[in-house]
Amino acid sequence: MTTLTRQDLNFGQVVADVLCEFLEVAVHLILYVREVYPVGIFQKRKKYNVPVQIFTDDIIKAQRNSVICPRPHSPLMSNDSAETSAYMSCHPELNQYIQDTLHCVKPLLEKNDVEKVVVVILDKEHRPVEKFVFEITQPPLLSISSDSLLSHVEQLLRAFILKISVCDAVLDHNPPGCTFTVLVHTREAATRNMEKIQVIKDFPWILADEQDVHMHDPRLIPLKTMTSDILKMQLYVEERAHKSS
Amino acid sequence: MADQFYLENIDEFVTDQNKIVTYKWLSYTLGVHVNQAKQMLYDYVERKRKENSGAQLHVTYLVSGSLLQNGHSVIYVLTDCFSSVKSKLAVTASIHVYSIQKAMLKDSGPLFNTDYDILKSNLQNCSKFSAIQCAAAVPRAPAESLSSRKFDQSDLPASSETQASELTTNGHGPPASKQVSQQPKGIMGMLVSKAATKPQETNKETKPEAKEITNASSAGGKAPGKANTMSNFFGKAAMNKLKVNLDSEQPVKEEKLVEQPPVSVTEPKLAAPTGLKKSSKKAEPVKTQQKEKKGGKRVELSDDEAKETENMKKKRRRIKLPESDSSEDEVFPDSPETYEAESPSPPPPVFSPPDPLPKELPPIKSSSGESKRKRRRVLKSKTFVDEEGCIVTEKVYESESCTDSEEELKMKTSSVHRPPATAVKKEPREERKGPKKGTAALGRANRQVSITGFFQKK
Repeated sequence: MTTLTRQDLNFGQVVADVLCEFLEVAVHLILYVREVYPVGIFQKRKKYNVPVQIFTDDIIKAQRNSVICPRPHSPLMSNDSAETSAYMSCHPELNQYIQDTLHCVKPLLEKNDVEKVVVVILDKEHRPVEKFVFEITQPPLLSISSDSLLSHVEQLLRAFILKISVCDAVLDHNPPGCTFTVLVHTREAATRNMEKIQVIKDFPWILADEQDVHMHDPRLIPLKTMTSDILKMQLYVEERAHKSS
Repeated sequence: MADQFYLENIDEFVTDQNKIVTYKWLSYTLGVHVNQAKQMLYDYVERKRKENSGAQLHVTYLVSGSLLQNGHSVIYVLTDCFSSVKSKLAVTASIHVYSIQKAMLKDSGPLFNTDYDILKSNLQNCSKFSAIQCAAAVPRAPAESLSSRKFDQSDLPASSETQASELTTNGHGPPASKQVSQQPKGIMGMLVSKAATKPQETNKETKPEAKEITNASSAGGKAPGKANTMSNFFGKAAMNKLKVNLDSEQPVKEEKLVEQPPVSVTEPKLAAPTGLKKSSKKAEPVKTQQKEKKGGKRVELSDDEAKETENMKKKRRRIKLPESDSSEDEVFPDSPETYEAESPSPPPPVFSPPDPLPKELPPIKSSSGESKRKRRRVLKSKTFVDEEGCIVTEKVYESESCTDSEEELKMKTSSVHRPPATAVKKEPREERKGPKKGTAALGRANRQVSITGFFQKK
């Protein structure tokens, strides 16, 4: 069993890669399942080959040779054999928006500055109706206890995807005409750094309004929790009690 | 009896845990035959409908039969709208409950997802509770698999088809009468085609390997024998390296390889020797694809392929290491890096097989491939007996004027004195006598140390 600090390997980058890819799929799936956009723009794609490949190359190399070089962000969708199928949007602007969002979140994830990533579904009056909260914790000391770490993480992320697919059962229907936004809760002064480093040009981040963040009388519905050597994540939904009002 | 509690179990899974309960998942979880699991689900659905309780349940069914037009067996998975589907089927072979869940499913993705994990964790006995059986499908012993892969398996599709017709049904009666006899045919049909393509793929892979070996050893009688023993020792990983080294041989051999029916996996490996990296990456998706398939044979095959791609990657690493460490003779003007762009240069016509490491890559360094007269400073190993009576080998720089062949001879002679105690690095030059038909430039710096040097020592 190897114990490494965050500086020893470029683990932060790898974990950030994995998380960003997962969050991209998760956001698309939430939009599909909650019918924020018409289902026609969504296409069935295969997932959970790509991050595993990144890991298999890099982390297993790291375990053997103490050298890690994460692959640059590869296209999310692969046409390889399916472990999970997910619905992804085909609309280019929507995809670009989600990708840009997560691209900006990635540096924060690398430095472990992110507390939670929230996908908020807003009604026509721009009041939050539902919030899908991904609480993320990365342990400072990473212990790689097994070679099958990555397939284990893949399995856990797959379970998240499955849970999002069936969250219909526990949530009420949303009113028509909803939109969505992504909020990132960071630790301490991370956002100040973010303003300095504008990751993507013309894609600025702003401090969220109180009304976007605060939901009146929420109901909490936990969906899934995962614990692994490199990552701990919890997904729950905050739902407004009366959605149509 | 445990049977009494299954209703409560299903209730807990569906209502409390909000899971999707498929019959396959239920059979593994409760340890019952799939047909029994289907009946359990059916019972549960019936009871819930009778109770008409508030809990909303969605049920998906599996309907299979033969289409009106094509006559093929078709499997539908759908929710409750039987009549439209039944009208499309000439013969309805079976209808049974596929899954129960609280949420309405928009597509079949979550169903697959549910089964995936539980199947993966039960891969070794995935057919334990299954209704599909084939008596001839037994996991192969590892020793058999290496040698038998070389044999032609083209008659496999034919044989498995005959086996499909001989299927026997299991003990438990399914809810639908004609289900078991029809279903296996349809599913066996799919499995047969899968099985046919798989052995074909590996078959084609081994065919070129076998051909390459025979080509390479045309000049030397010992080589094929050695190849087989070596392959038995090192398995597929070694064979691949062999293949890679042979790839650097002439186009003549490639012609023979081209005759092979093209297979997507092997093509990149054979046709593009420089594209080693690409081929390993292409092999990866196939590797993961094959990993997911169930069955003893397939698991084995995929393991080997995984090893092979991993070894290919490892091999690329290994190219770098020995050159930076100790190589027997380092020729200074030559850069040690150039041999990485190895293969296209004129290869040696005869290749000694028991050399799995890409030791042959250095020869290509001198692109001309002809022996040149040069004066250069060479790091040579001098072997002598020191005061304690131990045979010691030291590296010493010497300038010499020599052709490649001369250089080799010198190395051969010095290798005779090699003491048994020295490290592996000091070793093998005998490998070079194989490829040495004079044309290729071998025996220069950045020689790869071959692990089979041990076996050469007599």
